[in-house]
Amino acid sequence: MSLMKTKRILLPVFMIIGCIQFSYTQDLLGILDNEQKEIPKYTSATFKMTRIAIGHSIETRKKGILEIFVANRFWNTPETRTQSFFVDRLSSRIALEYGISDRLSIGFGGTSFDGLFDGYLKYKLVQQRDNGKGSPFSITLLQNSSYNSNAFPSVTESFSHRLGFTSQVLIAKKFSKDFSLQIAPTFVHRASLATVDDSESHFAIGFGGRYKLGSHLSLVSEYYYTANPIESFDVYGPFALGVNWEIGDIMLQFMLTNAQRIEDGAFITQTRNNFNFKNPNLNFGFNATYVIHFKRNLKK
Amino acid sequence: MNRLLLLFFILLFYGINNAQEKVIARQGQVSFFSYTSVEHIKAENNQVLSIIDLGTSEIAVSMLMNAFVFEKALMREHFNESYVESDIYPKATFEGTIADFDPNLSDGQTKIVKGVFAMHGVTKKLEIKTKIEKQQGNYVVSGTFEALVKDYEIKIPPLLAGNIAERISVNFRFEYEPYEN
Repeated sequence: MSLMKTKRILLPVFMIIGCIQFSYTQDLLGILDNEQKEIPKYTSATFKMTRIAIGHSIETRKKGILEIFVANRFWNTPETRTQSFFVDRLSSRIALEYGISDRLSIGFGGTSFDGLFDGYLKYKLVQQRDNGKGSPFSITLLQNSSYNSNAFPSVTESFSHRLGFTSQVLIAKKFSKDFSLQIAPTFVHRASLATVDDSESHFAIGFGGRYKLGSHLSLVSEYYYTANPIESFDVYGPFALGVNWEIGDIMLQFMLTNAQRIEDGAFITQTRNNFNFKNPNLNFGFNATYVIHFKRNLKK
Repeated sequence: MNRLLLLFFILLFYGINNAQEKVIARQGQVSFFSYTSVEHIKAENNQVLSIIDLGTSEIAVSMLMNAFVFEKALMREHFNESYVESDIYPKATFEGTIADFDPNLSDGQTKIVKGVFAMHGVTKKLEIKTKIEKQQGNYVVSGTFEALVKDYEIKIPPLLAGNIAERISVNFRFEYEPYEN
């Protein structure tokens, strides 16, 4: 009888067995893939360094990390003949910056050229996640305050008139392993005014980006636009173009910029020259960070 | 017809039987060390997965690269971003066979595991001398092997050549429990 019929029944049966067999002899790595627990993977190294070039990035240092941060700006005066060694002018900000927790860091520094002392708190509010879940971008809050130690004869020299405050919401997204962008709405309040006509408060927005050129080298650029700039003297938007290079515990940043000032509120609102290659507009910037770990993660 | 039915049951039985003879380790430990005169680097991963098919003596290991914990937090960032590029290559895997494996031996046995190790987009054939023990009825597999950094196309900047050893020693220890599907 119906050998054909038997075949017709048995064929699907064998196909089913085949499928069962296949699922049982599924390769071992496939089983492990299914067993892999979903660990929330936060995007790391959006900018790697706590500054993109001249301004802050969303990065904070992990708990127990102390950074010795030295930022320098070099520029020449417009005179054609000067007798300075190497460069005419140098400004340095030397700072200590410390990770209180994985999200919160604190920093104190002083700048040589303009006599500003500053301190900041930086808090990582939202962290970007990689695998489609969670936030598509990172948000870090920055509050900085500065004290101007210079003697100015024209204005009242009370303590409160020497202060400045900068608040920033740093919003960044790492689009790929090589490319990250940041937008930074900024509010600057200055108590130390050159003239009474100027506004005490300024609204600005910063744009920054990083593109990785190699495993340890990246190209960075930054620009800040101020909506209501100082009017008693000419100011321009600070711009920077540079490379960031990290080698283990040392991180170096080299840049060309028109911003002579280093403290955040000062360079955002009071950059007096536009970006070009003439003196004193062109500044060479060099930031060096040395990282010291006070917390060890592995048990002995 | 009857013969076919018999075949059917044999196959079915074989399939089920086969599926029951697997053991899995969900919290396997893998650590690696780099010793140079300048710096000692150590990293640990305590969430490594491994499975053994006792019927066929096949073994597989899978680990997430970003689960390695380093002494220094920044080192972990560098490791993932600039060295193993865990955005592109999130896992390292091993697939192989334990030569002359005797699942019923209750004492320790030292066997050679042959297989392929894949990391950073590179696959290498490895032969690892492995100690297999039974502790309270569960298999424990441990061993050590060495890996050359340059074999896996991991670039070390010349300035740090003194800090990172060319030869990395890797330790592993997996405790298995029965795998139920």
